[in-house]
Amino acid sequence: MRYRSQSVAYWYFAVAMVLFGLQVVFGLLSAVKYLGPDPLLYILPFDVTKVIHTNLLIVWVLTGFMGATYWLVPEESRTELHSVKLAYVQLILWTLMGVTAVIGYLFRYGTGNKLLEQPLPHKLVIVACMLIFLYNIGMTIRKAGRFTTTEGVLVLGLLSSAVLYLPALLHYENYTVSIFYRWWTIHLWVEGVWMMIMGSFLAYLLIRLSGVDREVMEKWLYVIVGLVFIAGILGTAHHYYWVGVPTYWLPIGGFFSALEPLALVGMAIYAYTAIRRAGLSHPNTLALHWTIGSAVFALFGAGLLGLAHTWPSVNRWTHGTLITAMHGHSAFYGAYAMIVLAMITYAMPSITRTRNDVSSTLGFWAFWLQVGGMFGMTLSFATAGIGQVYLERIVGLGYLDTQLKIQVHFLMLILTASIFSVGVGLFIFDFFRRAPRAEVLPETEAESVRAGGAAPPEPAGQAAR
Amino acid sequence: MNQRQARLFAIACTGIAALAFLGLTVDSHRQFPELTNADAITPEVSAGQDVWHKYNCVNCHTLFGEGAYYAPDLTKIADLRGEPYLQAYMRDPAQFYDEQRHRRLMPNQNLSEEEITNLIRFLQWVADVDTQGWPPRPILVATGFAPPSREAVAADQPGVEQVELRPVTPESDPRAIGENLFRSVTPACNACHSLTEGMDMAGPTLAGIRTRAEAIVGSDDYDGDADDAEGYIRESITDPSAHIVPGQMYSANDMSFMPNTYADSLSEEQIDQLAAFLASYE
Repeated sequence: MRYRSQSVAYWYFAVAMVLFGLQVVFGLLSAVKYLGPDPLLYILPFDVTKVIHTNLLIVWVLTGFMGATYWLVPEESRTELHSVKLAYVQLILWTLMGVTAVIGYLFRYGTGNKLLEQPLPHKLVIVACMLIFLYNIGMTIRKAGRFTTTEGVLVLGLLSSAVLYLPALLHYENYTVSIFYRWWTIHLWVEGVWMMIMGSFLAYLLIRLSGVDREVMEKWLYVIVGLVFIAGILGTAHHYYWVGVPTYWLPIGGFFSALEPLALVGMAIYAYTAIRRAGLSHPNTLALHWTIGSAVFALFGAGLLGLAHTWPSVNRWTHGTLITAMHGHSAFYGAYAMIVLAMITYAMPSITRTRNDVSSTLGFWAFWLQVGGMFGMTLSFATAGIGQVYLERIVGLGYLDTQLKIQVHFLMLILTASIFSVGVGLFIFDFFRRAPRAEVLPETEAESVRAGGAAPPEPAGQAAR
Repeated sequence: MNQRQARLFAIACTGIAALAFLGLTVDSHRQFPELTNADAITPEVSAGQDVWHKYNCVNCHTLFGEGAYYAPDLTKIADLRGEPYLQAYMRDPAQFYDEQRHRRLMPNQNLSEEEITNLIRFLQWVADVDTQGWPPRPILVATGFAPPSREAVAADQPGVEQVELRPVTPESDPRAIGENLFRSVTPACNACHSLTEGMDMAGPTLAGIRTRAEAIVGSDDYDGDADDAEGYIRESITDPSAHIVPGQMYSANDMSFMPNTYADSLSEEQIDQLAAFLASYE
């Protein structure tokens, strides 16, 4: 850690870890209900555990993004944060919002609109937190006068996330129109601007971990952003299948979502070439695992498994089945959970007190149990989903009878989800067993070369290697 | 390619895609009223949408295939099942499904009668939205499948038992009792009739039987004695040859192939219960 104010990242990561743990607990609870009967039917029914599971995901991933940004921006702009106090105020407000929202869901206090269940007061607090955050980051960069491409892409991604949340604040009389605009927030987040955020974290991590030339990395970052948007914006159409919108969204959705894996292929090649060029010499091999893992898992979950059911003639049969859950779990985990865990693992030796111990055996267990568990969960949802599509949609067996026939896949889901949860538990334990560190550490020579040259500042990309 | 060109590529891609997307959005708004029957969004439908949101329905069910995947899709439910059935179901779901058998049950939401009516109005509006032919075949809640072969039943193989029904008592809803009878009378109705659209077996499918029965009773070709749909269904059970459904596989010499033993083997009440159940398939 070169700047004292970077230590705020620790507290963001800590909150993210607690919420991640809770998310997994509610996920497991929801999975068990698939086997049934449910002893908690009137205490904690499925709709409640599910809404908490998905909302905690959004909140913890965003908390991770914010923490990682507070970590990255001082380093990229070579300055202290504009206001540490504001960053803490924002974190407290944000956490209160998240916790009260979850408590509210326990009592069915929510909008009942998928993924945007936050009640209006909570939505307003989210907007306020985003504004505080963007102001703080903006002022930091402005004062420093140094603005790298990586950080530019990141800030634009965060800014657009805030703007795209605005349609979620409105009420729509027509259910179809409300679906139409819900995806402006959800789809354009996860398959648009969050990809910018992921891409910039990936660029940052690869520059630091592999020491590859910044100029090359940032050039390709632009190309990736271009690919994300040419496919991602019009790819929104794959959420407009069969919901009461004009027919032309079908071919548009098919064509542009088929292009969506391009950006993910781009990111995976990006990561691979960086390693080919510069090797694996960085001591934080665990962070490297998470970084490469994220690029590869995102390609698998978001890219390939998305492609598997995005074509309209396929989606006609798979729409609204567990096939969507297969894609959703692997895509979110690969692209967003893993990139946040990569940023945390990268920052860990600096923000906690165990500098030499970061690539611990425990950390590798956490990595492999999570990756293996999530892969198994993806297969469980896939096999359950294929069975469901065949029996329910093609043969015409009733929904409930179909669910009875695919019970074995739910058993498999619970088993693999348990493996995944152990991995998550280990990661969280590994994080909290280290005390936070407040003092500034001198950067080693190798690190400063990777960072793009030590002060005095020089233009981005001019670092000697 | 240098960094400047790469940046230009990113900006151009984003700009073009965003412009195209906005243009299509404007055009979609032009078409929404017609595609979604926006005129039919009455205050009752809106109130029903609020009920849908208030009770967090979308986090178990799907609508237009969107939501959670823990309970059946309801996009066309108002087309498949009639209003009296939906009312009875929402007053107490446990009347119709059994948690021990289906391993899943909808908790009673304690909806008021007004909420139930509004929710049905909303689901009726949803069912009329133009979903471009989706779902390609009806998504049923339960049943709707060919029974196991006689050999499998005779051999008592595990897993062939299709009767996953809620046990009924005389106090149960007549439609729930009827559903039970549909599979348990001798010979079982579901040995020859499916409830799946387009799935004709030894007898014609009974999906949408209410709508078809109404049309038959009202047509000139009808020569039986019934005046309404339920009456027609009752008549078909007790006197299968009173009106012959066209199709060589169903009859010969004006005699239906359906067994004519039900008038003796079933009580008047049981026949009413069967008819009530079948008439809920619109």
